[in-house]
Amino acid sequence: MTIVYAPAGKSGKWDGVLDWLQMLSGASLILFMWCHMLLVSSVVISPDLMNAIAWFFEATFMAQVGGPLIFVVFLMHFVLAARKIPFRMDGQKAIWQHARMMHHGDTWLWVIQAVSAMCILVMGSIHMWVVLTDLPITAAKSAARIQGGFWAVFYLFLLPLAELHVGIGFYRIAVKWGFVKDKDRPRFKRGENIVTLMFIGIGLITLIRFLFLATN
Amino acid sequence: MSRLLKFNIFRYNPEDAQSEPHMQEFVLEETDAMTLFIALNRIREEQDPSLQFDFCCRAGICGSCGMVINGRPGLACHTKTKDLPGEITLLPLPVFKLVGDLSVDTGSWFREMYTKTESWIHTEKEFDPEALEERMDNKDAVSIYELERCVECGCCIAACGTARMRDDFLGAAALNRVARFLIDPRDQRSEKDYYEIIGNDMGIFGCMGLLACEDVCPKHLPLQNQLGFLRRKMGITSLKRLFGK
Repeated sequence: MTIVYAPAGKSGKWDGVLDWLQMLSGASLILFMWCHMLLVSSVVISPDLMNAIAWFFEATFMAQVGGPLIFVVFLMHFVLAARKIPFRMDGQKAIWQHARMMHHGDTWLWVIQAVSAMCILVMGSIHMWVVLTDLPITAAKSAARIQGGFWAVFYLFLLPLAELHVGIGFYRIAVKWGFVKDKDRPRFKRGENIVTLMFIGIGLITLIRFLFLATN
Repeated sequence: MSRLLKFNIFRYNPEDAQSEPHMQEFVLEETDAMTLFIALNRIREEQDPSLQFDFCCRAGICGSCGMVINGRPGLACHTKTKDLPGEITLLPLPVFKLVGDLSVDTGSWFREMYTKTESWIHTEKEFDPEALEERMDNKDAVSIYELERCVECGCCIAACGTARMRDDFLGAAALNRVARFLIDPRDQRSEKDYYEIIGNDMGIFGCMGLLACEDVCPKHLPLQNQLGFLRRKMGITSLKRLFGK
């Protein structure tokens, strides 16, 4: 049997592997972000508890090694996912006009995902640099930073952007890879929205707690 | 008193050098059980015989009357005016070549897609016209029939964000077509053969999962499930190829 496959000359040898890596890096960052938020929010229960968790991560060198490692995964995920983002004006115009024409929720979610990705790339890098170059992490140091004013505003933007990106990403992986079937999609989407709002809520409560925490 | 419907319809004739793309307004009195197909025919008969749009079966079978209805791709014959607001905007389907006004050439696109995806049974068995047809498991036959219901209207392609950004993206109609052959026991192509066709960013890995295809398909084909199935299948094949198995 002689089969001449089209499109000729466009080998997809790596496309499948890159798609796996995009999904796996995204999934690991989602898991990290949810754990990160829960651990930081431990300050709401007690600053001592947050200090103890931070101490544990530094004593086991997880912060010193894991931190930069997460940064590498973060950059890798950006490069992989950016293959799908239009960087040229004509592509950006096409998807913007398309989203406006369609009035379709999931298409808008993708636009939010792409725009938030750009903000998170810059703001997330700044956040990681500031935290990882000033170890050890303590509740008092974090509180002092937030009480400075600038960082409170900074996190008020980064928090919803990151949580939206994470939530939409989780939903997207599930429907794209078929882990969630068509019949379960509306229910799953609703559940995902609730989880995202919950994490934004936890983040806001944590920020407020830092704002009123004694820094000495 | 029935409603007076206001139609904003895209007008442009690429064959006419004097023609400029513009929107034209038509007003029509709504009648009982009116579909967009009926409305467009009445506008053509009563108000402007030069209005171009495609139709054939008027029953959602031929897939000719796909157009963008208030922002969403859909079939004119399947859309009742009572489900729409009083102001209706009609545009031709994007992605496809414009013939004129609301008429687009989906045929050439689907013809090229069939060539690209090699949309026919690949087998080494000699065809014997005298022999009884080979039997197939009923479950497989039902699954294939489900995917064969595609009427090739092009709505899923016009609704796809990836297809709007990338001319070379195959789109849901094509991927659904490949899925149909993948489950057909008569087709002897292996998963690695299918990977050559859709295992790239023009195929299944180009899909960004916006799922507008699933949401606009007038025939309610299970496109989301098929795209997920193909991504998993081709994803596993990519790993097998990488590790030389």
